[in-house]
Parts: sequence; C-alpha cells; structure tokens
Amino acid sequence: MIWEKRGYFVMVKAKIKIKNPIGLHLRPAGILCNEAARYDCSVTFKFRNTVSNAKSVLSVLGACIKCGDEIEFICDGKDEETALSAMLRIVDDGLGE
Amino acid sequence: MGRGTGASAGIGIGKAVLLKEEELLITRKEVEDTTAEKERFARAVEQSVSDVSALAEDMAKRIGEKEAEILNGHLMLLQDPMMTGEIEMQIENEKICSEFAVETVCTMYADMFASMDDELMQQRAADMRDIKTRMQKILLGVKSVDVSLLPAGTILMAEDLTPSVTAGINPANVAGIVTELGGRTSHSAILSRALEIPAVVAAAGILGEVKDGDELILDGESGEIFINPDPAVKAEYEEKRAAFLKEKEELKKYIGKPSTTKDGVTVEVAANIGKPEDVDRVLAYDGEGIGLFRTEFLFMDRNEMPTEEEQFEAYKKVAVAMKGKPVIIRTLDIGGDKEIPYMGLKKDENPFLGYRAIRFCLDRKEDIYRPQLRALLRASAFGNIRIMVPMVTCIEEYREAKALVEEIQAELKEAGIAYNPDIQVGIMVETAAASLMADVFAKEVDFFSIGTNDLTQYTMSVDRGNDKVSYLYSTFNPAVLRSIRHIIECGRKEGIMVGMCGEAASDPLMIPLLLAFGLNEFSMSASAILKARKYITEYSVEELKAVADKAMSFVTAAEVESYMREFVTA
Repeated sequence: MIWEKRGYFVMVKAKIKIKNPIGLHLRPAGILCNEAARYDCSVTFKFRNTVSNAKSVLSVLGACIKCGDEIEFICDGKDEETALSAMLRIVDDGLGE
Repeated sequence: MGRGTGASAGIGIGKAVLLKEEELLITRKEVEDTTAEKERFARAVEQSVSDVSALAEDMAKRIGEKEAEILNGHLMLLQDPMMTGEIEMQIENEKICSEFAVETVCTMYADMFASMDDELMQQRAADMRDIKTRMQKILLGVKSVDVSLLPAGTILMAEDLTPSVTAGINPANVAGIVTELGGRTSHSAILSRALEIPAVVAAAGILGEVKDGDELILDGESGEIFINPDPAVKAEYEEKRAAFLKEKEELKKYIGKPSTTKDGVTVEVAANIGKPEDVDRVLAYDGEGIGLFRTEFLFMDRNEMPTEEEQFEAYKKVAVAMKGKPVIIRTLDIGGDKEIPYMGLKKDENPFLGYRAIRFCLDRKEDIYRPQLRALLRASAFGNIRIMVPMVTCIEEYREAKALVEEIQAELKEAGIAYNPDIQVGIMVETAAASLMADVFAKEVDFFSIGTNDLTQYTMSVDRGNDKVSYLYSTFNPAVLRSIRHIIECGRKEGIMVGMCGEAASDPLMIPLLLAFGLNEFSMSASAILKARKYITEYSVEELKAVADKAMSFVTAAEVESYMREFVTA
C-alpha cells in the first residue's frame, strides 16, 4: 500500500489483478459496488487513463475491465483502510465467480 | 408467411396477441419546487425497486436463479448512485420534471453501452431502456399489460420483449413468442428456452402483417411463421408439434442409460464444450464425459496472457464438476486468423495451413505452452483429465509435446505439487498426414480423437466457408470415409481409444458407419447426446458391418449419402 498525505485523511491505494473470466460484467461489478457502498470513504479505482467510481455499477461497467487487467483501488476518507482491505479481498476471492 | 430466426425449438400454435407498448409522451416540463420533484422521483425509484424485486423473486422460484439474474441486474442499475445522482442534479439545475430528467440520463447511458464493442455491454443498453420505461410509467401513472393474464393458446407478439415483461409470462398460457428484434442470445430468447416456449426472433416487419386474434403457427427451429394457415398446414404442424413433444419425452428416458448397441457393444457418448460454464448442460444431458474441451476462450477477449493460475482454476473447475468422468482438454489451437494483439501473431497469408496450434505452441514453449501444460498437469490431480494435441502432422511434434509433459511432471514432483503421473496424452487426428501415418501414431499416443471438420477440409482441399466450393465439403465423400475408417482401424489395432469430436459424431447418417468401423467415443454438443444414445441402442454392430461395406463400395459422396439416408429411414 502506498501512503500519500492529502487533507485530513491519508489516502490509501493498492493494485490488484481482476481474475474474473469475462472481466467486470454486470454480476461481479454489482458485487464490487455493493461492497464499496458499505464504506463512508470514497472508493475509486484507476485503470490506464480512467478513474471509476467503485460505488456505481455504471461507472464500473463503463471502464470495460477485462480478465487479467490490473486496477488500482484508491480509498479516501474515514474508514479508508478497512475499505481498501475489503475491496482487495473480494476481488481476490473472485467477486462471486 | 413470415420468417425470423429460430430461438427456442418447438412448434407454437395459437392466436396472436400483439403486445404494444403504449407510446409514452415525455415532454420537458418546467417545475418550480425542485425539492418536491426530487421527492417524487425518489418514490418512483422506490416503487421500481420494489416491483422488480418481487418479479425477480418470483422468477427465481418459477424458472431459476440464473434467469432471475437479469432482473437482479436491473435492481443494481436502478440503485446506482451515479445514475440517480445525475437525474436529481438535472431536476435541480435544469428545473425540469422527473420524466424528462430520466429520459435524458438513461438514454445517455443506453447510448454509451450501445456504442461499445462488447456484446454483453450492448445488452446493458436494453436494460437501461427497460428501467427508463419502468420509472417513466410509474411517474406518469401508466399501467403495464399484465402478461400473466393472457388467455391459454396465446402467441405473444412484440417488437421486443424486455426481461420485465418476459418475467411475467406463464407457459401454461403462452404457446409461442414472436419478436421483430433480438437474436438467439437476447434476453427474450434465453428466457424462452428456459421456459421451453417455442420462439422466433428477428422477424422483421411481422407486426405489420398480423393483427390481434389471427391464427398463428411458428416453428422455433426453422424460424418460419404461418399467418392464418389453411387447414392442411395446420394439421401438418399439429402433427409436427405432437411428434416434437413426444420425442422430447422419449429422449428423457435415455438419461442414465448406457450407450450399448443391441449386440452388446458399449461406446461412450460425450460432449464438446468451449468454456467451463458449459459443464452444467453436459451433466443435464447426461454426457458420459467431455470429448473436447476447447481452451481458446482463456486466451481471447483480453489484453494480456492468461496466467498459469487462471488456467489451472478453469481446468480444475471442469475436472471437479465431471466427478471422475474423462475430460479431454485440447491445448491451444489458435493461429493467424484470430485477432489476439498481445500474442504478437502476424496475420497469416494462409491461416489454416500456417503458424497455428501445435506448431505455434512448440515455438512458444516458454511463454505459452509450458504454462498451459503446467496448469493442465496441476489440474489433473483433481479429476480425470487427458491432454490432446491439435493439428499434428509429424510424429516428432507429438514426441516433443510428450517430452515437455514429462519434463513438467518431473518439476512438479520435485516441488511436491500433486499431478496425475499416468495422465493420457493423445492427439486430434485432423490432418491428411496424421491419417496416413495413423499406424505409426497409434503405437505412441494414448488415444485418437478424429476432428472431422478439419479432416474433411484438409482431405478435400476445400474451405467450407467458400460458397463457390463448399459443395465439396462432405463427410460422406469416399476419400474422407476411407480416412476415418483407416484411423479407427489403426487405433483399434494398438488397443487405444478412438473418439470423434467433429459434427459427424452426432449425424444420424454417420453413426451406423462409425459404429461399424469400431469408433469408441462419440463427442458432440450436449443437446445432441440423448438422441445419439437412442440411435446407438437401436443398432446391432454385426448387422451394420454389411451396411458399411456397401457404403464404402460407392465412389461418390452423393451415392453414399443417399444409400445411408435410405438405410436410416427404412
């Protein structure tokens, strides 16, 4: 995890590869979003040049993430560390697939 | 007379009910009290969520979890903060009514998805339009047609059926479905198949030719539609329908039965699959194994090479699901005809005669073949996996692949990683060279699987996709039959299993010949398994030998085919 000073909260980020066979289509995207929505902090992820809102299915789908693509989660806010661990874990667990 | 694409097999006979969605009039109305308007919108979303949840639950119970997922997808979209946030912002900033804000935002997202290259993403466009209409109807107080109240014997006709509408369909009332749009993989097609309701999609213009109450007959396989047919046609199709339903029932009886001929010859009827998810159908149709598991899916539609781990998971999944039944996995069969940017493949001038399959894999051992073989060997510890090498022409190719397998086995042993030390390594026999040298190959490989599609093309020197010469493509051509017979004989002589994974394995005109030649395993698409088993149990191999001899005495494909057709229909 990389730490950066930003405002009152330190922002946390980490990279992870998506392992879902057909990438982040509706079902795994939904699971990702449901988890992200549980946290107060902002949860976004970077892929190449785009930043997507992990709490919005439309935003995640729009990023067109395919199997093997590496994304970087960025959590910023009160429960950012808990959120980041949780996001990394569910992606690693395969997002329900 | 109308025509479309057959999307769900079966004959539908009944009276047309045209489902016309009321044109919703959406106008840009200005609002003063934006707070109240946002409240109004929030309630419409709440209502939508509640309605769709109820539909999804009902669908999961009546049809299945998988089909209900489409509606669960709608729920996710309805509650997407980005979308609802956008709509609220529009209401606030533009001071406009909810209906118009919904129209603007949802259409924007629908267009975004429609413009993407991905088929799944394009289906999301239809989802966006469905929820847009749903929210607008609630806002405008427009009632939807209740499809569960349709009379029995209804042929439901629409421009397209949204998942929400299809969810309410009661198979007891709806005898058939016809849509102007859609394709075999659209929601309406998938749900029709799940509900086992005959359906025809992509019947352009059909709504202009039919009115409510018209008598309709549709053939869900051929895609034909008859409007107000005369009694002779009606009688013909009523018979067809009865025969179809009878056959469906009859075939179910073959589940769990052995594939044994009348004179006690037992063969294996297996399935061809292209991805792990297909395993469900194989088990549903009682496949005795998997005769061909194509692995190309792992390498396509992505930006970089699949890792060994990813491959291992996919192979393991299938091995485990098949619970010890044989799973023959074909190593990467890809070449310059497919677009795979990260592989660094240049476009071949002559892809089918070019740098592909085993030739490609043996040239890219380190980054491609090794990881795949390692993943296969690791997965072999979890089921009955057999490795199959494609497009082999020379014995050296097999020996090199086999040596690599043994090398990796030693590595795994050293590292203490489990694998099957007795794993079988066989070949696809699909080239002229492999066929001619079948006696040599049979002495070294563990099994044969005849790939009739490519074998026919290479033997007849014909591209089946070329309209001008595709008439030459025929498994009944004596040259191809001699090749097949020879391959099977060589295999049997050395006591190795000989299977077939091409289309010919399920062809009712070919099955008698293959049985007579001594084929051990017939691998086909899952839906053809029960029918093939039925045919096999009705023959006696001893009696078929005379038939095969006669068939092999002809010198033209046409003579062979017409002789077999005569024999089978007798």
